[in-house]
Amino acid sequence: MFERPINRRQFLGSSAGVIGLGALGTLGAIDFLAACGSPSATATSSPSPRPPISAENGNLSVLDWGGYEAGGTKAQTSGLLAGTDYTKKYGASGITYAYITNDDQGLQKATSGGPFDIMHPYHENIQDYVNRGLVQPWDTSLLPSFGELNPYLVKAAQVNNKQYLIPWDWGYGSLLYRTDKVDPADATGWELAWNPKYSGKVSLWNGASTNFEIAGLKLGYPSMDNLSDSQLAAAKASLIQQKPLNKLYWDSEYNQEQPNFQSGTVWITYAWQDSLVSMAAAGLKCAFLNPSQGRLSWFGGFMLGAKTQNYYHAHEYVESYINQAACVQMTNLFYYGTANTKVTPDLIKDKTLADSLDLANPQAITSGTNHLQSWAPNRSKLELAWQEVVAS
Amino acid sequence: MPSRRLRVGRGAFLIPPLAVVLLLLLGPVVLLALYSLDLLTNIPGTPTALSGDNWNDFLTGPGNPFRGRFLYSMVVTLLVSVGTTVAAYPLAYYLAFVARRLRYTLLLLLIAPFFTSYLLRLVAFSDVLLNDNGVVNQVLWALHLLPRDTAVSWLLYSNFSIFLVLFYSWIPFVSLPIFAVLENMDRRLIEAATDLGASRLSAFWRVTFPLSLPGVIAAFVFVLIPTTGEFIAPLYVGGPSNQLFGNEIQSFFSSSPNWNYGAVLAIALISVVLVLMLIFGRYLNTDLREPATEAAR
Repeated sequence: MFERPINRRQFLGSSAGVIGLGALGTLGAIDFLAACGSPSATATSSPSPRPPISAENGNLSVLDWGGYEAGGTKAQTSGLLAGTDYTKKYGASGITYAYITNDDQGLQKATSGGPFDIMHPYHENIQDYVNRGLVQPWDTSLLPSFGELNPYLVKAAQVNNKQYLIPWDWGYGSLLYRTDKVDPADATGWELAWNPKYSGKVSLWNGASTNFEIAGLKLGYPSMDNLSDSQLAAAKASLIQQKPLNKLYWDSEYNQEQPNFQSGTVWITYAWQDSLVSMAAAGLKCAFLNPSQGRLSWFGGFMLGAKTQNYYHAHEYVESYINQAACVQMTNLFYYGTANTKVTPDLIKDKTLADSLDLANPQAITSGTNHLQSWAPNRSKLELAWQEVVAS
Repeated sequence: MPSRRLRVGRGAFLIPPLAVVLLLLLGPVVLLALYSLDLLTNIPGTPTALSGDNWNDFLTGPGNPFRGRFLYSMVVTLLVSVGTTVAAYPLAYYLAFVARRLRYTLLLLLIAPFFTSYLLRLVAFSDVLLNDNGVVNQVLWALHLLPRDTAVSWLLYSNFSIFLVLFYSWIPFVSLPIFAVLENMDRRLIEAATDLGASRLSAFWRVTFPLSLPGVIAAFVFVLIPTTGEFIAPLYVGGPSNQLFGNEIQSFFSSSPNWNYGAVLAIALISVVLVLMLIFGRYLNTDLREPATEAAR
């Protein structure tokens, strides 16, 4: 039959067959996707004993933010010491990184990409990772430095009394502004980002839930992570009103936020405390706003993939991040707090900055007027509302 | 002993590419359609049920911002396509009729920037050329055309920067089909027009230009179709108010994940592209060798 030229009818018949196969393939893919999304496919604790670390391949797949790569890997250019113990012991070639630029993207990649052995989300996302069956609890007995971690953060990182997140970094979120460009009288609260005097010189983060928290605080909603429908609508309207003032919504701290601030393209930007250090070191006159409504605060850490084939390697990797030496160096490099309580103020080089950021206070992130970014039960509504703000 | 070779019929050769097209093109479109109707979800544990709510919201929701963004993107796409095609015509004309022996050297120079990554060129625009402390503003300062403490702020994160980058990116591609048509044109027709008393302008307008229209339309479509889904340039050089519809779709599938709503936007965009292809596809003929056959169709 292959020797004869085919006529139109035969061609259509063959095509129909292929289309049928294609449709079957598509349906198969749908079944596969549905199976992946079904509760039966989510993680459950395995009753079988785990193979020893020597039986693991050590090819760690890590979902992280740029700059946090393990010391010793080619990807690492920030000078971070964390991770070096692991790469010295097991080599760096087996570690691969996938990157995220905001929390929603992280959850999305963890859900649809991967599977990842280790993820680095923040406090407000823990519940979602657990609910989606993406993670499993850590065996804290395998982490020698676990006992040194801040008990407050350790407790806050548990779900159903299981240690789903090993806390590591913490800090603040606020507006970084140029003191030589912004009138001090204007720099009193989050409304600075809404001040039309600085139109075109403002840049908020392209982080959906964070911007609703900021708008919520500005509007006087202290329960910024549990906005009612009417509060959400008001916050959305407020962000739409603020949008024209933005030069851009930045996605990358190192490629957009800091370069634009440094070049003078932007005078007021949402930032984390490390940007204050970097920009001050670059010679800019700047300050980290202490809003009358309170700063945002956050902590993050490591979660263990539900399907990891590198259970023991993952624990060793995380231990190389949470030990005291790695944490001291991280604080001195980034001026973020760390969960390790053995990082005492005398180990921090820049005392003034360390004091002003209250880095030595284990509960700094919830003290005073600081608002710890927490789980939002209406996350999908927030995400859609943010998309509407961006599209408006 | 004669070898017995399996002779495969011509039709069989169609099966592999057809299968690839079906699996990798139509398959995802089918999946998108199912997502858009809430029959699939990207969030594990979320119940699925047939619903047209997202479609209803996009198409009829009062003041729906995504519809507005869609219309904005279509206007940008149209302006970029028209602007680039109009600008590319003299370039192609010069290459085909004036440059003579240098034409292919100049053509190579035209496409030379494309030996560098698109991403790098975008970063150069945003971080080196157009920002407030960038090359353009520094030149203006050096020439005392601008006070030191001010900058031309609309250079970056604006409609201007999006137009500039897209224009720069597309113009070589747009020039090529026009150049190809002009290059293959029967010059005797122009000579005949001038012999019959037509001025150079009249010969161009009544002979050259009409004959080059298939190339012009092809060039226009070359820009129009990909620009409808463009998202990388606005991501790097566009401000919050200059993001295109493609950015909304990209965002729905990555940074603010809601695949169901994103699928609605994606299907809407695919539909528009299909309609555009149907409208312009019939004009996509740059073969000038058989005008009689074409006219008979």
